[in-house]
Amino acid sequence: MLETHDLCVEYDGAVALQSLNIRVDPGEIYCLLGANGAGKTTLINAFLGFVEPATGSVHVNGLDVSRYPLESKQGAAYIPEQVMLYSVLSGIENLDYFAALATGRRLPKARLMALLVQAGLSEEAASRRISTYSKGMRQKVGIAIALAKGAKALLLDEPTSGLDPSAANEFSLLLRQAASRGVAILTTTHDLFHAKQTGTRIGIMRKGHLLVEFDSVAVSHEELEAAYLEHMRVMQ
Amino acid sequence: MNSLFKHLPLVFRHEWRLLLADRSLWLTLGILCAVLAYGLFNGITATEARTTTQVRLQIQEADAAVRNVDLLRRIFEDKANPEPFANPANPANVGSGLAARYAMMPALPLAPLALGQSDMLPDHYKISYRNKTSFLYDGEIENPWNLMSGRLDAVFVVIYLLPLLIIALSYNVLSVEREQGMMKLVLSNPITLSTLLAGKLLARALPLLAGAALLPIVALLLFFPPARQVDALPQMMGWIALVLAYGLFWFALAAFVNALRTSSANNALLLISAWVVLTLIAPVIVNLAVSTANPAPSRVELATQTRLVTIAGLNRYNELLSTDYRYTTNLETLRPKDGKLDIPERLRAFYLMDRDVDAEISSLLDRFDIQVASQQALVDRFGFVSPAIVAFEGITGLSGNGSRRFQHFKEQIDTFHENWRGYFQPKVLGGQAMTESDYADIPRFVWQEESARQRWTDLAKRLFQLLLLAAILSVLAIVFLRRYRVV
Repeated sequence: MLETHDLCVEYDGAVALQSLNIRVDPGEIYCLLGANGAGKTTLINAFLGFVEPATGSVHVNGLDVSRYPLESKQGAAYIPEQVMLYSVLSGIENLDYFAALATGRRLPKARLMALLVQAGLSEEAASRRISTYSKGMRQKVGIAIALAKGAKALLLDEPTSGLDPSAANEFSLLLRQAASRGVAILTTTHDLFHAKQTGTRIGIMRKGHLLVEFDSVAVSHEELEAAYLEHMRVMQ
Repeated sequence: MNSLFKHLPLVFRHEWRLLLADRSLWLTLGILCAVLAYGLFNGITATEARTTTQVRLQIQEADAAVRNVDLLRRIFEDKANPEPFANPANPANVGSGLAARYAMMPALPLAPLALGQSDMLPDHYKISYRNKTSFLYDGEIENPWNLMSGRLDAVFVVIYLLPLLIIALSYNVLSVEREQGMMKLVLSNPITLSTLLAGKLLARALPLLAGAALLPIVALLLFFPPARQVDALPQMMGWIALVLAYGLFWFALAAFVNALRTSSANNALLLISAWVVLTLIAPVIVNLAVSTANPAPSRVELATQTRLVTIAGLNRYNELLSTDYRYTTNLETLRPKDGKLDIPERLRAFYLMDRDVDAEISSLLDRFDIQVASQQALVDRFGFVSPAIVAFEGITGLSGNGSRRFQHFKEQIDTFHENWRGYFQPKVLGGQAMTESDYADIPRFVWQEESARQRWTDLAKRLFQLLLLAAILSVLAIVFLRRYRVV
């Protein structure tokens, strides 16, 4: 479960998040929409403990991130917009390292390969150096890293940005599978279609505020688009 | 703490994999090994040359002694004629050079690692009753740091090159992760930044410092037989400890700079600047400060004083010096009679003049020694401003080529010179002829090694200074890492 209480975050005196209350329950996929600078990535950073709350609190699986920074990271996996990996190592070697960091022990090679295949990477590709990978392939390694962690919460920062439709669709499928296992998922995106298709709840952020939330089943694509555009127009 | 034990080996292993994959570690180790091998070759060659020279001089000395005794015996048996300027029966000839003995400072087992002053200052002197300036002060008398620059040896590689290799491997360990975007993904896992940094630096420190510390020891054991003595083991441990402590300082500095969260380019600039300041500029500043605070007496003053005293001697002993050279033609006067010998007045005069020179310039010579000792004390006291000074002093001390051991050698020479003169004075002034048994009693120089306690105290002090500096930087690094902004 991911939760914030009256969360305020400031960067060098500028407010990035203001009195933010958000809650993502197990099995939920919460899609956060918003323009650049709305505070979506800052929120992810707050869940990862990379930014300190000015006021309020951040909880991952019930643990206060400020008080239990390492324990809270144990329960959350993260996939950034650009999964940057060690280019001189292969996909499986990268996964070996990140999975070991996540679990505190090294996983067997067969298990690592199975995770990469599950994420959609071929065995041949898994043994190649990352320097030969496309963005989509690196993203799949990122998914495998998250799968290896087996975390109860998943934080995704625009994970489908730059992916082709087929890869994005596969990715959505993986998210739904994870949610069905009870994982709480928070994902930021600019893609309204992806949010409507994948999310169970959708929130729109602007200037550090959470403006509105929708149930993705109850809201139509047109209504979502209209609401998003209206909020963006107000901002302009 | 749990994260440290759990994640440190994982980061360490991963870093090894990275270093091996991009070949940077092999390249760095290759450079280190090649330059160390060259330095060791130089060190072993120079030390063996020193030892060979000493052995050759000992053989010469023994041969000369046998020749002198043999000639003396034949003179006593009327089978040979004495020569006027090389008469083995004449104590003035014998004591002023004919049977002069060498005072030698032997090389220690670790001498090839740090030639130190050995290539600038002699490790042996030919002792006679001539005045000390004629054999002891014909070299440069200056602050020990002026005498340090010499040929490339292992300690040079450790002091100057090792930090550069450490910088090359460590300047961007954190910044590159941030700049290339891996840091957030790495730190989204339950690992602390300090564990990550420690694992990265450990992976680089282990091969580099092991190579720098152990390769010279292995080379010495293989190619320098004196190093195979059991006595050499503690000195080897001392070398390893000093190299590790010095390397640790540079890794701690790299950790601190990485913790500042500047760009890789800035890190490189900061570390290279630190290298320039600590290894090149600080020693020069210490040298200048030490020379200014305790300037050595002028060499011109020594030369002038010696000449003035010599001129005074020439005047004082004018009558003795004015005697003729009848001895060169009248061989009978060169033969000992009833244990007595008619020693030429000129030779007595030379003896007295040399004795007077030493007596009258002794205060000046003492000032040289006092100033060198004072300069060394200042270097010891303020050398901590540069870990290069601390490590160099420690290693040259262990190798036996440091200034302290050289001063110890000179003190023994002073004593031996006095004993030598004390032995010959009654014979020269009393006109006693040398006998075969007198030759057996001529003083010999017996080297007394400096106190082991002094050496180990000195080593412990240097190690403490280096480790203290490393600890301070490590603490600073931890403080800055706590404030480190990942995003």
